[in-house]
Amino acid sequence: MTEVKCQVAGIVAALEVQPGAQVAAEQVIMFVESMKMEIPVEATCAGTLVDILVDEGDSVVEDQVVANIRDS
Amino acid sequence: MAESKNEPKGGEPRPDLAAVLQAKAKTLDENRPEAMAKRKKTGHWTARQNISSLLDRGSFQEYGQLAKPAFNLRDGPADGLIMGIGSVSGQSIAVAAYDYTVHAGTQATISHAKCDRLFHVVENLKLPLVFWTEGGGWRPHENNIAARDFEETFAMMAKLSGQVPTLGVVAGRCFAGNANVAGLCDTLIATKKAALGMAGPPLVESALGIKLTPEELGPPEVHEASGAIDILVEDEAEAIEVAKLYLSYFRGDSPPGDEPNVMALRDVVPENPRRAYDVRKVINGIADAGSVLELRPQFGKAAVIALIKVQGKSMGVIANQPMVLAGAMDSPACDKIARFIQLCDAHDIPMLYLCDTPGLMVGPEVEATALVRHSSRILTAAVNATAPFMTVVLRKAYGLGYYMMGSLPIHPALLVAWPTAEFGAMGLEGAVKITHKKELEEITDHKERLQRERVLADEIRARNTALEVAARYEFDDVIDPADTRDVVTKFLNALPPVPKRTTRKRTIDNW
Repeated sequence: MTEVKCQVAGIVAALEVQPGAQVAAEQVIMFVESMKMEIPVEATCAGTLVDILVDEGDSVVEDQVVANIRDS
Repeated sequence: MAESKNEPKGGEPRPDLAAVLQAKAKTLDENRPEAMAKRKKTGHWTARQNISSLLDRGSFQEYGQLAKPAFNLRDGPADGLIMGIGSVSGQSIAVAAYDYTVHAGTQATISHAKCDRLFHVVENLKLPLVFWTEGGGWRPHENNIAARDFEETFAMMAKLSGQVPTLGVVAGRCFAGNANVAGLCDTLIATKKAALGMAGPPLVESALGIKLTPEELGPPEVHEASGAIDILVEDEAEAIEVAKLYLSYFRGDSPPGDEPNVMALRDVVPENPRRAYDVRKVINGIADAGSVLELRPQFGKAAVIALIKVQGKSMGVIANQPMVLAGAMDSPACDKIARFIQLCDAHDIPMLYLCDTPGLMVGPEVEATALVRHSSRILTAAVNATAPFMTVVLRKAYGLGYYMMGSLPIHPALLVAWPTAEFGAMGLEGAVKITHKKELEEITDHKERLQRERVLADEIRARNTALEVAARYEFDDVIDPADTRDVVTKFLNALPPVPKRTTRKRTIDNW
């Protein structure tokens, strides 16, 4: 299992994929809003998105684990 | 040295030679099983192992192998400092490594004298220096020896700044005088086992009454974030790999490396102007494959600095990072950029600025960090640098941030923009608040006022796109992002040969 961490603190603006989906490496999983910008949180590897640990509107901190991927 | 073995070439050596060979053999790792067993237990490499792993086989000429401690406390091969000259991929360098198996890598009378001697050789021959600095500072058992007052190790190390590239490696506990040597290096690599600090646990306990282990006092993750170390690596083996890569940027041209995926650059900057992207992707699309060495990645994260090769030629990249603070420049980012410019300039490495910044960071918190001063450091470094540079505006080019990031007034050799570039003297929403103050104040509905602000800002934005600004000739060209590597290559090919330097060009700020 590979953890996906958010690089910056902010508010989850949009979830781009749902749990269970197949994702490619560097595919955008969600956007976090910070400093009036939407920061992509990307898949760290290809695989199955097992879960997403945050909802739209949630506050996140730097380095927070926001999703898990099972490597393919 | 392990690889030479000091084997006699003819028959049995005469007694005079035999005595020398025996004395030398005693200093080698394989003949010090007890010390080596201790070292193995903690999972660290030995000083000799580090040096022989870095240098070309058989290239090491050791200095002071037969030196011993001035105060004969115990046995102390080479007085705990292995040093000399050798080569890495054919490039001559100097190396030094404190030996933790000799009185915890402490600095003592003879080892200081050795160090001073090597530094003079380094200065005279202009050799890049790699220094493994693990150790506990001054060896207190030699407090009564008057000679210690004459050591010039730290002063000499400071004097080397800008004269030769200096690279420190911290792979264990490194405190006090040893940490001072580390802090005087241009660039510092640390392993996960590093513990680094100016004052070690005994001093901390006696001054502050706090009991800490060295690892609690100065762990590598803390120093990665503080900016004290430049590159955090897993272990000694990776440190050697990174050291070799680092030296390669100061060696002149390499054979051209593999082409990166340049077409990917067309899609790096999102169409939606509010969406961020990782500027490392831009750097990867310009540099020879595998040639990117980022420095201080966890410090001043609103900027990215990296040494790269393009068609085998060395370059320093200075980039804003839109992923962090939207690329706005805060004090750490400014410090990081300013020192890197000095590093590149001192060693005549051409630079590439990648600009995407809404400007300097705003707000009382960042002002309290003396941004007024820290931001100025970039300009002083950039304007007074003579190493050539070029600039690519990727997206936002606003205010003083853009001015500092390689804009026209600091005379880039080439200034180009991507089609996504947008220009402004200051943040547009802030600008319309001033220019249309009265009109906006008359709108009582908050939402309506924001909407009007946005419309006004968009009007200005439309007048300041890459194409519009190109028509006013405020830069040299708008380029296809996929051609960026080609454009950078043309810039590098246009540069005159670097003048041969016999004197220092400039010093490099330690911070």
